[in-house]
Amino acid sequence: MKISFTINNNKVTLDVDPSMRLLDVIRNELHLTGTKEGCGEGECGACTVLVKGEPVNSCLTPIINVADRDVMTIEGLRETKEYRIIADAFADRGGSQCGFCTPGMILVTYALLKKNPHPSEEEIRFALSGNLCRCTGYQAIIDAVKVASEKGIKL
Amino acid sequence: MINHFVPKTLKEALDILSEHDCYIFAGGTDLMVQKHKSSGLLPAFDKDILYVMNLKELDYIKVDSQNNLHIGGISRFCELINSPLVPDIFKTVFLEIASPNIRNTATLVGNIANASPAGDSIVPLNLFNASVVLQSKRGTRTVLVQDFIQGVKKIDREKDELITEVIVPPADLKFYYKKVGSRKAETITKVSLMGGYKVEGGKVKDLRICFGSISTKVVKNHWIEEKYTGISTNELRARIDDIINEYDHEIRPITDQRSTKEYRTVVAKNLLRDFLRQVK
Ligand code: FES
Ligand code: FES
Repeated sequence: MKISFTINNNKVTLDVDPSMRLLDVIRNELHLTGTKEGCGEGECGACTVLVKGEPVNSCLTPIINVADRDVMTIEGLRETKEYRIIADAFADRGGSQCGFCTPGMILVTYALLKKNPHPSEEEIRFALSGNLCRCTGYQAIIDAVKVASEKGIKL
Repeated sequence: MINHFVPKTLKEALDILSEHDCYIFAGGTDLMVQKHKSSGLLPAFDKDILYVMNLKELDYIKVDSQNNLHIGGISRFCELINSPLVPDIFKTVFLEIASPNIRNTATLVGNIANASPAGDSIVPLNLFNASVVLQSKRGTRTVLVQDFIQGVKKIDREKDELITEVIVPPADLKFYYKKVGSRKAETITKVSLMGGYKVEGGKVKDLRICFGSISTKVVKNHWIEEKYTGISTNELRARIDDIINEYDHEIRPITDQRSTKEYRTVVAKNLLRDFLRQVK
């Protein structure tokens, strides 16, 4: 089936099975490998992408459910100035170690700060509650989000 | 080969369902896990699929002149959480379901149709005596959620029917809700209890009790609730043990990887006691 959608501001039309996971489309058809697969069942958030600006797990999303919608992966976010501020904050606070969870963490941070530029610690923890990290113990990530928020991402 | 149907209108969807036995695919957060094989492979569906997320007609949340809340069939949890029309107690429950990413895709109707005994959203729906509306080419019928879910993964739906709406009647009550799980986010319930009550002039005017995860479906026993409605709050407090005993035959949990039946039984009774003590 021919399915059209926007990926990182570029319109694409693919002839794929409608039930194919968005994650597989992104990694195997579009060769954008910044989006990671951790659990493959909705638990870890490593596969997070933004659909119409909202974070979703691409491992649970069939491609048909993003037809005619906007999808943004970490590669798309990288082109923005907001990405620099968030990535620098993660580097600054040691919020990324092996980096496997980081694309998802950064996309969720971006979506959070866009809606709520000055979140409380509780709001940060709540927003990131679906993203697991094996390395940092989370506090460094929470701190990084606070730094990014203080740097005032004008979104 | 299976067919993939992506109807644009409700009429089209009902026409397809009248001829094909389909999986009804909404947000996909349950189905994609159940049918997942391995990375890079297509999910293993064994019959036709009807995708409903493009049915704009089912995308609404509104209130009618009798204050009944109408939730369209493809409303997602995130939309319900953000809607000023949805009662706060529902939001409390929804905010504890899965994770933010999943709430951005998962639908309320999907959670109902999945009929898991641990489906958290079913608890407040039962407490409010909510119904689902099913449509098919043959017509429309409305069924209480409590009757619609018949057991584990068992629902009162014919192959040609689509759940198009959930109707939640208003309830002027005070609420109690506790969900017991292993952690804060992404936790599947071990036991939950929701209570609702209304006290007027020292008397219990309305009493509702729903248990989650302690039986094959959410437990709400109308007969017990009626029996203790109309008495004074003092008498209710004096009879807490009697009320707990009434539920002896209803509290039938299982032992699984999340908990044991003994633990679930004790916690369910303790939650009920905690709730009843607050009725004043
Ligand atoms: S890979 Fe999608 S949530 Fe873990
Ligand atoms: S930095 Fe390694 S999983 Fe988070």
